[in-house]
Amino acid sequence: MEGGKREDPLAELMSRSQAGDATAYAELLKETARILRRAIHGWRTGLTDEDIEDLIQEILLAVHNVRATYDPSRPFMPWLLAIAHNRFVDGARRYARRGAREVPVDEQNVTLKEPFANTIEETFGESEALQRAIEELPSSQRAAIEMLKLQEMSLKEASEASEASGISIGALKVATHRAMNALRKLVKKR
Amino acid sequence: MIKNTEELIHNLSSDLSPVRPLRSPLIRSALWVGILLPYTGLAIVVTALLIKRPIATLDRAFAIEQIFALATGIAAAMAAFASVIPGRSRSYLLWPVFPLAGWLGTLGESCLAAPPPAVTGHNLSCFPFIIFLGTAPAIILWKMLRRGAPLTPHMTAGLGALAAAGVGNFCVRMVHQEDVTLMLLVWHVGGVFLLAFLSSMAGRYLLKWRSPESAVD
Repeated sequence: MEGGKREDPLAELMSRSQAGDATAYAELLKETARILRRAIHGWRTGLTDEDIEDLIQEILLAVHNVRATYDPSRPFMPWLLAIAHNRFVDGARRYARRGAREVPVDEQNVTLKEPFANTIEETFGESEALQRAIEELPSSQRAAIEMLKLQEMSLKEASEASEASGISIGALKVATHRAMNALRKLVKKR
Repeated sequence: MIKNTEELIHNLSSDLSPVRPLRSPLIRSALWVGILLPYTGLAIVVTALLIKRPIATLDRAFAIEQIFALATGIAAAMAAFASVIPGRSRSYLLWPVFPLAGWLGTLGESCLAAPPPAVTGHNLSCFPFIIFLGTAPAIILWKMLRRGAPLTPHMTAGLGALAAAGVGNFCVRMVHQEDVTLMLLVWHVGGVFLLAFLSSMAGRYLLKWRSPESAVD
């Protein structure tokens, strides 16, 4: 099998990487990334360049994690492609789920029908003023606004983030609703 | 996620530690069996004391049944080890088929010759023993399988559980050498397959890709 190894430069690099050769490993990963980039583009997945880079990084991490499973007497490419295919299928599933949830829209300047809604933009546009109004809210309402509106967390994420204080999703909804009403009143006052 | 691929490659390669390539599924299975040999002996003696029954004498038919049962467990373990190696052909799925067919064949033959089936408390009590005695083999196997790539977690977990429960069943049968009835078939073989099925369902939780953070730490 030594002969086979000599004919497969990637197998040779991987074998040296398993022995702890960092230079060979960097070279192997660069070549692997290049192969994967070309292959994924060739598969016409419809993924953005950013998604493809994310996927490549995920595959490289998987390769790194299971590098002990490579048998130096076997060819490298079937080993790599089995990992790549597995991570690609999982990744595609994740991107499909995300795609189903999100609708890309162009950002546009909108004038709203209700004069009050536009007034907020005009009179309360400064972030400092809004920050002051948020600081005046009770702590639970302030936390809800910060997590759900400023950090754009989902209800589930916000509930998990505030797990220590035991805030449920229902309580977050109520706190947000009350906070929005309170902010609206503060806006009117000014 | 790391900012860019070049940076990731730099992080991964700069902290590279040497790894020993995993041994072949055959050698890893032999290692697993080697670890389990003293355990199996002890488990049989302890179970015999617990349920107050003598250890079985190996007459020819019973010995063949037990050899096939153990071979099924070992072949399933080999297949599980093969399933965590990327790039291998799926032919390993066939490995447990022959011993399994032999095991079911020997049981079926005895079953046909046995008196009509009856649900007995003793048969029912064997199932928890299979779980109990299969736990240590399962934990060792799980730890070993986690060193591989979880490409097919459901199948790997199912094969692993078949292997572990197979060993558990082997131990229980050593102190439960009764004529094979339909109910014994249900609780022993059915139990083994039930455990394999349940583990297979939980495969994604049992065998996960390790977190990206652990790779760059």
